[in-house]
Amino acid sequence: MPLPDSTTDKTSDAAMSRRSFLRGSAALGGLTALAASLSPLRELHDFTNTEQFLQKYYKELTPDEMTKVLKRIEGEVEKQYGVRPHVRDLRPMDGVEYVYCLNLTRCIGCRKCVHACVNENNQSRNPEIQYIRVLKMPHGSMDVEKGDHTYDAKQVPEKGFFYMPIQCQQCHNPPCVKVCPVNATWQEKDGITVIDYDWCIGCRYCEAACPYWARRFNWTKPEIPKERLNSNMAYLGNRPRKQGVMEKCHFCIQRTRAGRYPACLEVCPVGARKFGNILDPESEVSYILREKRVFIQLKEEMGTSPRFFYYFDK
Amino acid sequence: METLPPSAPASKIARTNIFLAGLTLGFLALAALFTKNLWGHLPTKQTIPIVDKKFLETTPWRQTYADLVKAKEDLSDYDCYGCHEKKKPPTIRYDANQKIVVPKEHSDVVMGHGSHDRNNLCYNCHNEQNLATLQIRDGTEVKFDNIPPLCGSCHGPTYRDWEAGAHGRTSGFWDRSKGEITRLSCANCHNPHSPRIPTREPAPGPHSLRATTTVHESAESSH
Repeated sequence: MPLPDSTTDKTSDAAMSRRSFLRGSAALGGLTALAASLSPLRELHDFTNTEQFLQKYYKELTPDEMTKVLKRIEGEVEKQYGVRPHVRDLRPMDGVEYVYCLNLTRCIGCRKCVHACVNENNQSRNPEIQYIRVLKMPHGSMDVEKGDHTYDAKQVPEKGFFYMPIQCQQCHNPPCVKVCPVNATWQEKDGITVIDYDWCIGCRYCEAACPYWARRFNWTKPEIPKERLNSNMAYLGNRPRKQGVMEKCHFCIQRTRAGRYPACLEVCPVGARKFGNILDPESEVSYILREKRVFIQLKEEMGTSPRFFYYFDK
Repeated sequence: METLPPSAPASKIARTNIFLAGLTLGFLALAALFTKNLWGHLPTKQTIPIVDKKFLETTPWRQTYADLVKAKEDLSDYDCYGCHEKKKPPTIRYDANQKIVVPKEHSDVVMGHGSHDRNNLCYNCHNEQNLATLQIRDGTEVKFDNIPPLCGSCHGPTYRDWEAGAHGRTSGFWDRSKGEITRLSCANCHNPHSPRIPTREPAPGPHSLRATTTVHESAESSH
């Protein structure tokens, strides 16, 4: 339909022509749409700083650079939580390979390990991130599909059930490492699969690849009460994470690589948890694997070959 | 406005302008909504109470005689000859069902040792010749601060596991070159008179958003 030829000329005397008005509206609309599409950026409160952005890959950092990085992290944590932490970069020891053994006959399902872990490793309290899930399982089956980790009993253990805590199995052949597109997670020579939280891009491939549901994603900025912050930290361990990165059990690197037992073990009221160096024939775990009835490995058919063993007394 | 040709009546242009002005206002309103977040409400966070510190406690739930000595606590319970007479073993009474009758002075003792509580002879462990000590059935005297050999005299395999560090909690340092290891004693976890570990209150379970009834919200805010 042809426009009336005189319309545009005549109305140009008025404040605004229809064309320029339309153009203006379209531009405004476009800008609004752009603003709307950028609006999630407003939720990035602690957007990465230049220093962190330019930081090299963990394995390429020289000792001097590492010291600077640890200082930066200490400063950031102090600024945020008001506590000056002690952040270390603990490397694996020679002649040490960690193994965890868990006694299914003893575990009573009290979940103390879950919370000791959260407390030790500075996990988010809301939304909750927990590395350990305690499955309540009916007697006579090892089928984890029958397990329930949301049980809410007044008293444990309940009759007819046993309890099976599951956490990162620290596999010999970890599927999570294979799928990481940026090598932000890898297996160290002492058997611990670690994550560089500064290198992780949050794609969650590892979470999907893990057959044990051991990896957790920080959907929001982690919430840690200041008074519960653990100031003994390790770079690859329990330093506070950012929004958008993965985390998981790392056998309490900040403790175990300093010779101590993990936090979940030290809180266990029944001594169901055992940890140590499998290369030392005198260690508790060597004794258990030699002498006790060991349920080889969870989901053995996956070929992951975990370093986490379940065993029985009777 | 009167000069406009009849093909574009004033009312029509005014309507267009009003429409476009309305559109602009609409866009502005949308922009305000987006920037002020008046529309898209973020998934509401549930409140999760901070876990009670009692669940983080690492001290064992029972104190042994050795712990009491160390902590310089009241040891009057172990002063047997405050009431009993020396060299006169107290007699043990049983009811018709062969259940031990615990005298009211020892009402804190609940007997439940062995299947069907059959380990009900006090002198299986207590020394009738010297009540301040214990004894193994072969007559070996055992002090209150070192009971594992006594328990191990019946519970052999468990004792073997305990010695190897496989039974009961060990805490401290797995790497002996870096620090000490602390091994708990039998009575730190087991009440010798009724050794079965009692049931207890579990720590709170995960506040799984999946477990709540609002499944749709959970799908957005968690995995």
